[in-house]
Amino acid sequence: MNAWALARRTVAHNPARAVLAVTGVGVIGALLFNMLLLSRGLLVSFRDLLDTAGYDVRVLAAQGSMVHREPIAGATALANAIGQLPAVERVALVRTDSAVATVPGRQTRGVTVTLVGSTENAIGGVWDIVKGSSLPLVSPAGSPPPLIVSTGMASQLQLEPGASLQIRVTLPGVASALPAIDCRIVGIGHFTFESSDEYTVATTMEGFAAVHGAEDRDSADLVLVASRSDAGPSAAAAAIALLRTDLRVYSNDQVLEQFNQNAFSYFRQISAILSSMTLAFAFLLVATLLTMSVNQRLGEVAALRALGFPRRRIAANLLCESALLVGTGGIAALPLGGVLAVALDRILRGMPGVPARLHFFVFEPRTVLLYAALLGATGVLAALYPIWLAARLPIAATLRREIIS
Amino acid sequence: MPAGTVTALGHVSIRIEAGDYVAISGPSGCGKSTLLHLLGCVDRPSGGSLVFEGRDVAGLTESERSRIRLTRIGFVFQRFFLLPMLTAWENVELPQSEAGVPKGDRRARTRELLDYVGLAERSGHRPSQLSGGEMQRVAIARALANRPPLLLADEPTGELDETTGEQIADLFDRVHEGGTAIVVVTHNPVVAARAGRRLAMKGGRVVDA
Repeated sequence: MNAWALARRTVAHNPARAVLAVTGVGVIGALLFNMLLLSRGLLVSFRDLLDTAGYDVRVLAAQGSMVHREPIAGATALANAIGQLPAVERVALVRTDSAVATVPGRQTRGVTVTLVGSTENAIGGVWDIVKGSSLPLVSPAGSPPPLIVSTGMASQLQLEPGASLQIRVTLPGVASALPAIDCRIVGIGHFTFESSDEYTVATTMEGFAAVHGAEDRDSADLVLVASRSDAGPSAAAAAIALLRTDLRVYSNDQVLEQFNQNAFSYFRQISAILSSMTLAFAFLLVATLLTMSVNQRLGEVAALRALGFPRRRIAANLLCESALLVGTGGIAALPLGGVLAVALDRILRGMPGVPARLHFFVFEPRTVLLYAALLGATGVLAALYPIWLAARLPIAATLRREIIS
Repeated sequence: MPAGTVTALGHVSIRIEAGDYVAISGPSGCGKSTLLHLLGCVDRPSGGSLVFEGRDVAGLTESERSRIRLTRIGFVFQRFFLLPMLTAWENVELPQSEAGVPKGDRRARTRELLDYVGLAERSGHRPSQLSGGEMQRVAIARALANRPPLLLADEPTGELDETTGEQIADLFDRVHEGGTAIVVVTHNPVVAARAGRRLAMKGGRVVDA
């Protein structure tokens, strides 16, 4: 009978202890698995969102930040210059603003929306049309600005393609004097970066300018660039940075790095602290149970040693016992952790301003490997003290003590 | 107050020959079990020498002494110390498995031993399902599993009633007749009477041989 078989029998012989250990490790393991999913989840999901959009370089004004962007002046000329670069495949200008949308003829207050204007009729994966058509390349003169509205908004306001919608741009902190402009809905779509607490409306750059009146027609908040596959985003970003000094140019990797160092680092730190704590709890639980188990079986261990079982065999038995308890609990923790991750992800994605498609907990095979390695190491460490206790046992004195007791 | 050094055994010279049957008796604390543990290579003497089959035990590593205990010495304890999660069969098979005996040989030897101690019918029972006498018989079968030339027993009837004790003594007789040397520490005069040599100990010394 090898060490595994003996460990299995020992564990089965003490069902209460086994259930306690497996349940404890299961719960702790679920939390650990969650924390590991969280540690990289945002990064992986954000990378996925950026890649889905179909652009791998982003150009911003030097002032402002990645989140609070300042307008880039002379955007059309800049887009043309960028488009001429050999490393660039295509360019799109993007403007965003806050606006109020009202359905004509309804006695309801308008809803606040994020208004997006773009030079492209469909900005890659930024929105996916689910009904109607995309923005037209050219709008007939005098026709109302075309709109794509988000699915959530269409559902809330019962909007269909062909319906009219009035858009009035709002200015932060002041009453807007801009008039409400009649627009026409051409399509309904999913917006990749829309959060659960906001509605998004997209239009053409001309439509965006129309709802703003005549002012500031040649600016953009963001320039999206797709690099040529043979050049790559780094070369494209480097070439764009040479065009103007008042710009900041980021490849997707650099955007990720920025977020990773700033916004996401809180989650990473929380994850690291909670992971360490869960591992400490798992260590304490298994070490305590194994130590208790050894203390209850001192006579048996001493007898086995007297019968000629070497120390390494006793150590192997305890190591296998630990591995069995931690392994079973660890495997049971995976589905539990998965369910918990889905629930927590739903809660966190409901936070204001978080894109609905951004996930905090993302499954990756490497996370399972890391989880298994961490739990395995914990199981080994937890077995060390009981192993030392059993291996160093004075055989004769223990047998004598067991007889007297 | 620091504990002082206790000399458990002193001036003891004993030679166990193949096929001997030796009983050691004496009052509690006289050093009987210590002597048994020395003979069984569990302990090493702090002075003097202990030679087992021509090898000086003091010069052996822990691993070498373990191997001797596994293959050359059988141990029977007062409290049996069977593994509670294993059946009688598995308890007897375990030392053979540790010694690397092939599976077929293990099975044959285990069957033979359980039959020998009269427990062939109880081979699938766990220790908790056996009586004290049955547990001790399984323990004796386990001790004989690797065909050791020396069997050491520490108060093997200490936990048993008189009748069962006599059955165990009978079993020791049969083991001895099979050629195995036996050293038994016992307070039981019935068991001691079966031995060919009887040693009496007192204060860590052999006072009567």
